[in-house]
Amino acid sequence: MSITFKKNCVVFCDMAEGEDAESLLEWLQKHPKGKIDLSECSHLHPANLQVLMAAKCSIFARPKDELLAAWLDTALKTV
Amino acid sequence: MKRILIVDDAATMRMYYRSILEGAGYQVDEAVNGIEAMEKSLQEPFDLYIVDVNMPKQDGYSFMSELRGRDLFQAPALMVSTEAAASDRTRAYAAGANLYLVKPIKPDELLTNCRLLLGEVHP
Amino acid sequence: MNPLLEQFLSESRESLQGIGEKLMQLEKDPASSELMTELFRFVHTLKGNSGLFDLPELTRVLHAGEDLMDAVRNGVVAYSPLLADRLLDAMDFVGMLCDEIEKHGSTNAKHIDNSVRLAADLRQLIVVVIVSSDEVACAVATPLQPQNSNPASQLPLADLSEEIRMTAYRAAVSGETLHWIEYSPSEECFFQGDDPFFQARQTPGILWGGIAARHVWPALAELDPFCCILDFTVLSTASLEELQEYYRYVPDQVRIIPVPGRFFILPHGDPNGGPVYEDFVADALGLLQSGNMVGLTRATRSMLELSNPDLWLSAALRWLLLVTEQEPENVVVQEVIIISLRTLTHPDWHELDASTPIQDGDAVTPRFKPAKQTPEVTALIAAQREVLSMPNDVAWLAGRLKSVAASLSGCLQAIVSTELVASMDVALNESLEQQTSVPLLRWLDSQFEQTPKADQPDTSDTIYMPETVAVPQADAAVKYGRRSEDAYVGPKSIKVDQAKIDRLMNLIGEMVVAKNALPYLAGRAETVFGVRELSREIKSQYAVINRIAEEMQDSIMQVRMMPVSFVFQRFPRLVRDTSNKLGKEVTLILEGEETEADKNVIESLGDPLVHIVRNSLDHGIEMPDVRRAQGKPAAGTIVIRATQEADRVVIEIRDDGKGIDPAVIKRLAYEKGIIDEERLERLTDQEAINLVFAAGFSTAEVVSDLSGRGVGMDVVRTAIEKVNGSIHLESENGKGTCIRLSLPLSMAVTNVMIVESNNQIFGVPMGIVVETVRIARADIRTIKKNQATVLRGRIVPLKSLNMLLGQHDPPKANEEDELAVLIVSLGGESVGIFVDDFRETVDIILKPMTGVLAGLSAYTGSALLGDGSVLMVLDMKEII
Repeated sequence: MSITFKKNCVVFCDMAEGEDAESLLEWLQKHPKGKIDLSECSHLHPANLQVLMAAKCSIFARPKDELLAAWLDTALKTV
Repeated sequence: MKRILIVDDAATMRMYYRSILEGAGYQVDEAVNGIEAMEKSLQEPFDLYIVDVNMPKQDGYSFMSELRGRDLFQAPALMVSTEAAASDRTRAYAAGANLYLVKPIKPDELLTNCRLLLGEVHP
Repeated sequence: MNPLLEQFLSESRESLQGIGEKLMQLEKDPASSELMTELFRFVHTLKGNSGLFDLPELTRVLHAGEDLMDAVRNGVVAYSPLLADRLLDAMDFVGMLCDEIEKHGSTNAKHIDNSVRLAADLRQLIVVVIVSSDEVACAVATPLQPQNSNPASQLPLADLSEEIRMTAYRAAVSGETLHWIEYSPSEECFFQGDDPFFQARQTPGILWGGIAARHVWPALAELDPFCCILDFTVLSTASLEELQEYYRYVPDQVRIIPVPGRFFILPHGDPNGGPVYEDFVADALGLLQSGNMVGLTRATRSMLELSNPDLWLSAALRWLLLVTEQEPENVVVQEVIIISLRTLTHPDWHELDASTPIQDGDAVTPRFKPAKQTPEVTALIAAQREVLSMPNDVAWLAGRLKSVAASLSGCLQAIVSTELVASMDVALNESLEQQTSVPLLRWLDSQFEQTPKADQPDTSDTIYMPETVAVPQADAAVKYGRRSEDAYVGPKSIKVDQAKIDRLMNLIGEMVVAKNALPYLAGRAETVFGVRELSREIKSQYAVINRIAEEMQDSIMQVRMMPVSFVFQRFPRLVRDTSNKLGKEVTLILEGEETEADKNVIESLGDPLVHIVRNSLDHGIEMPDVRRAQGKPAAGTIVIRATQEADRVVIEIRDDGKGIDPAVIKRLAYEKGIIDEERLERLTDQEAINLVFAAGFSTAEVVSDLSGRGVGMDVVRTAIEKVNGSIHLESENGKGTCIRLSLPLSMAVTNVMIVESNNQIFGVPMGIVVETVRIARADIRTIKKNQATVLRGRIVPLKSLNMLLGQHDPPKANEEDELAVLIVSLGGESVGIFVDDFRETVDIILKPMTGVLAGLSAYTGSALLGDGSVLMVLDMKEII
């Protein structure tokens, strides 16, 4: 699984597939202040992206992939 | 009386300019393209030219540069176009126009500029 | 109606006609840039004219049409049948509005919706809409000539970082095209296995990408993560084709908009803080106008060093540096950036395209202002400065310099500053001698932008250095093709009201009659007054007047002549529309369009021709598969050819359709009771085919479908005969049909034969006279109370003119007991008319019966003869 749910943080790895969107949504509803770590993420399915955007959650770590980071900067607020 | 030549292929525009200019006491002649305009100029030079950019046969630019190429004609010329782009204006000036106006032209705008170019006291 | 509006309507009709024609021609030759240019010009003229009046609906549609044609002309949008259709629709609408204006003097506001729709339809073709079907042309707005309507002007480019925008701008300057892609994937796309984000990220040539939600996010509890409401935006340097190819599976979800590089120049930052920039603005403008790019760069750099980089000012300065470095010749853009420092607002590049920025010029020359210097004066002087900064290497430099001097001197007189004229003349002469505009430009700057040296020590010495005067290349090479030796040939035509020509026509008619009185006068001079000498003089004078009158008549006739193209031009559209509707393929060939005939003749041709061509399309030409099955090419051909034969114009309409089956015609004519059994048997095929002209035949609707011909042909024949024309039909079953119309070149003069009956004279149009014969009384047979005779083996029915006119005197015979019979042809059949005697044939000017006489259907009109007597011309069809 490319999304790992930790105690107060979600870690995205490599390609985050669309199937994970439901569980991501559930987790974020339970953890409204949860942090998002995208540092190892190379791509995420837009279904996941929509959840992140709707949850207005703060990004704890931007992707190392600068191109992806630039895209996400237009959609998400970084801490 | 100052003589003005209108060079425009659109009869409606010619009529429009003519009515404004004649109303102000100018003597107005018309030409439908650069070739006719040159013919008329050769017969008797004008004091001012109003030249449309977009005309069949010979466009306004090439007429302008030809007019300027003849030493006889140095009367001010006002070029008229619907194109407001700076490149069109530059082209008009390079070809020898002295003023470039963008359509639609209000009667006042036309008259004021004609009066200025013809050296008539500015009201 | 005011004359200007009248002129507008008349010119509009011409333009609409022209647009229709050019579109038809483009259909055949879609690559012709010449046709595109002409087409553009028509639309352009129409729109320009409409701007003079308050006709928003008209202007809206025309403006859209002009933008579209401009894109087509520049090769940005390809010509397509769809484009032709939409443009034709739009022009029909414009024509309809013109009619309305003519009737009511204005347009009805109810057309707003239609005009908006039509304009949108046209504009849709400009904005790129990638459509999967190859048939629909992909279109794009012209990137280099942005219009007010340029979709790029709506883009949120300011949201991009300065770095990205500068990269984009550099790319544009280096010749790359920039496209803004808006990708709105469908809500269900995730279920189809799509990852639109991935797709957007992989866009070729990507410079920047953005993501936004289509609407506000719902509460998390209500969020459906699998319903895609994301929009993706990409800025790319890829070509339109590449992008279209890349997004070819989601064409309806993508909008591609070209963006001119200039649009990226948007300074951004904190507008507060910092010194007053007025001094810098003035200096920078001065440097710019004198073409001192080195000085400008230096001044900008030092200003930048002094300023906080986060300021709006700094951003603008960075842009100025970049533009000066990348496009040093683009003075206008630099000027706009500099001026924007004064207001600290974004330079509005769309505004720049909509109005001449130089209008703002009174701020450009802040130091010296003559008392009466109005914005117009300032603009005019700024314009002269711009003219003088054009490259010097043109053949017409002297003319340009003199014209600038003339303009300035006019201006100086107007603002009562004539004391400056002398110094200007000195500068002009210097310029003329040195073949450069520098001295004059220097003079202009010295008079209208006096920069006190004490104030600006570091820049003043560089302002007027002649060698640094910018020589920007005009962006388009101005052609200097023609020389004075060339001959000037221009069309010399004037428009004349039809009524004036008609009046001339009437006058020459009277002149001819009056002239014909002279021989009588000569006769009287000799016989009554016995002065032979005078008689001879009158006669010789008559010869002179006669010659002049004939020439005059000819000339006036020439004025009324029109080419048949006047009626032909409607057919390409008619054939195109009708054949499309019927699902047939038809090639129309027009020949001899330049053939001329009198205006009335030409006008009378219109309806019959339409009728005939419609018939060919409806019933003549078969469906493509039927044609193929018969070994014919799938596309049918209709040829309309005009030729002149002696004093007649002949129009031939030929198709290669299924022709007319004489057997079917015979049977139907018999069933309809048009012919009897006896005649049915003797009828030749040609005679059978001619039956389609018989009144009553055509009303049988079923015939048209069986015979391939026949709807309303009697109407056509009547219309043609009314103008003294004749119609002839040939058809080969299965191979096609050919109809020949023969019409007089002119209707103004009618050639009539004068006949005498019961001591009266009558005229009979020569067009129907077959021959004149004298028949022995013995040769007249009476068949069932009707008289007839056999003439060259054919039975010809005989009628008496006296009887026909309600008089009972029998026709008079000559000494040999022969009766004069005038054989006339009516509807293809010969009839003999008894008259007392034949007289000469004369050319007359036929005047229609008017007033109380108009009810006399037996006569087509009357004419004055030379001796002053009135000749009544018979309408044979009516009296028989």
